[in-house]
Amino acid sequence: MEAKKTNYFVNALKTIWDGIKQPVVATFLGLIVGAIVILIANISPDINVGILEVYAELFKGAFGSGYYIMASLTRATPIIFCAMATAFAWRAGYINIGVEGQMIVGALVATCIAVYMPGPGIVVILVSLLAGIVAGGLYALLAAWLNLNFGASLVIITLMMNYVANYFASYMVSFPIKDNTVTGITAQSMEIPADARLPRLVTGNTIHFGFILAILVTLFLLFIVKKTIFGYESKMSGLNPFFAIYGGVKRAKVMFLTMFLSGAVGALAGGVEVLGLKYRYIDNMLASGNYAWTGLQAALIANLNPVGMFFTSIFLAGLQQGGAALQRKVDLPLEISTIIQCSITLFVSVKFTWNLIKKKKMQKAIAEGGNK
Amino acid sequence: MSPEYIAAVINSTLRMTTPILFAALGSAVCSRIGVFNIALEGQMLIASFFAVVANYFTGSPFISVVAGVASAMVISLVVGILQVKYKAADMVVGTAINLFTGGLTSFLLFVIFGIKGTLNDPKLVPMERFNLPLINKIPFVGTIFDSLTFLDYFAYIMAILIFIYLFKTVAGFRALSVGINKEATESLGTKAERIQIGMVVFSGFLCGLGGVVLSIGQVTLFTENMTSGRGFMAMAAASLGMSHPLGCIAASLFFGFAQAFGNVLQTTGVKSQLTMMVPYVATIIALVIFAVKEKMKKKAH
Repeated sequence: MEAKKTNYFVNALKTIWDGIKQPVVATFLGLIVGAIVILIANISPDINVGILEVYAELFKGAFGSGYYIMASLTRATPIIFCAMATAFAWRAGYINIGVEGQMIVGALVATCIAVYMPGPGIVVILVSLLAGIVAGGLYALLAAWLNLNFGASLVIITLMMNYVANYFASYMVSFPIKDNTVTGITAQSMEIPADARLPRLVTGNTIHFGFILAILVTLFLLFIVKKTIFGYESKMSGLNPFFAIYGGVKRAKVMFLTMFLSGAVGALAGGVEVLGLKYRYIDNMLASGNYAWTGLQAALIANLNPVGMFFTSIFLAGLQQGGAALQRKVDLPLEISTIIQCSITLFVSVKFTWNLIKKKKMQKAIAEGGNK
Repeated sequence: MSPEYIAAVINSTLRMTTPILFAALGSAVCSRIGVFNIALEGQMLIASFFAVVANYFTGSPFISVVAGVASAMVISLVVGILQVKYKAADMVVGTAINLFTGGLTSFLLFVIFGIKGTLNDPKLVPMERFNLPLINKIPFVGTIFDSLTFLDYFAYIMAILIFIYLFKTVAGFRALSVGINKEATESLGTKAERIQIGMVVFSGFLCGLGGVVLSIGQVTLFTENMTSGRGFMAMAAASLGMSHPLGCIAASLFFGFAQAFGNVLQTTGVKSQLTMMVPYVATIIALVIFAVKEKMKKKAH
């Protein structure tokens, strides 16, 4: 009996380890790359930092105290949305790398409505978020339509639309909806009135209601993936389009709905960031924050698993938050976080290697066995 | 609109075309051997950066070109090994490498120069611009070829050389056959993976030249993420040009014109935020129009 129990325990541990082995090893290797970069940075006479010191500060700035944890969760909020938006499309085989553009469109529309619409706060919030969602969804739908009807590459079109959205938003906040009351170098919109903002969750911290929405979206995606016919159909289209069509899946319908939802979730990232944290649209704020790309990497590192993506997003947000603290304290640029994050993604990308090495070994063993 | 003005626009088009043409050729050779390379953007950006670094410390444009191209080749070697040898997904490697080079260049910009954003130093020496003898005396044509750099011409020479290599030599045929059926060529004893990785590194060489033109040919400075989507435009150009070197020239000229046109619009008083959108919108429109044409061709057959 006793032995059996431990067996179960060991097996359970093994299953968990198999699931997270790849990201954990990749993270370790990513930190080694980061260490090498830090060593290289030390060549500069102005920079004199130890690797352990840097990583300790990085951790402190990310999760070192309640305040920092809250700050990391605040930063994670848009990243979680972006990860979910990416996963939504990618698991169905639609390579949407335009989440950034969809996010910007969502943020811009939400800002316009929240600033200029009269009415009770709660109504303004709902209308502006919903309008943002619809706008972002339609923006993604346009890319899907161009791809399906004309066969133009979805990858290139969605990427180009990022730049279009960013420059258009830049135009909007530089002229039509510019805040002329302040003089600054960076153009920005008017501030959203106090009653049309999402509430903060903890006083004295930046974490806001958007984080709850991010959890809800994660659960929503989990539900769609596991429990709905649409989730199944969209996954089948991703795994094998021909089989899916043969099985009666209407490709156009699935693609449009998938891309619309992906864009909608991406747009929510933008709307929530404006209504919950920034309270206005500042030129280039979403593109320069790299939220969408970090979300995309979180999705890839977690292999498109909703729960995995949720925690990976928080981890990556912490890495960036810690990087910002690092820049303030030891004068090491915060891009060290981007370098580590991308290295992790690259190491995760070679996951097939392990299986490949295994296969080769097996083939070799079989061949040798045959010779004998 | 005077002829001189039109000639000046063509001149500007030629300048804008060069980086895209180099990268488009890089994209084309990769797709010809069956590798989908999305890291062109990163390969260009790192070259732009290291060209400026080498330029700052040596003052020699030639060494800058070598340094920029070498850095791009190192990055592309990583791309090649990951995608070809380790079968890593192209989208994952591409997006990660693009973001990685963005982070690395910004990081090093601060570490080396203590600067965030833009490095614009009087110490930097631009690439030499020259006028062709005799031709610069002809009124219209002279303006078209006014003060171009060596690399502006070299891009077209490179396209022709790649054309000859791919379609007129045995080695080129072998490379193409890898793209058509890797297993079959391997069974004939061709080292397919080596050819593929080699070609990805060659794309790094080309993108490197493109990146160098950006930072010390067109202007003499480095700005964070200064490639701003040109790698992806080059992918569009390569696909419009059917991954054919000469097709790439035509498509790249179109994108070069789109950028020059955006600049022209700006002088007419249209807000810069809107004129900056022109090349990106043009890319989308070009892809759609081209795809429609392809469809009609298929229907006609």
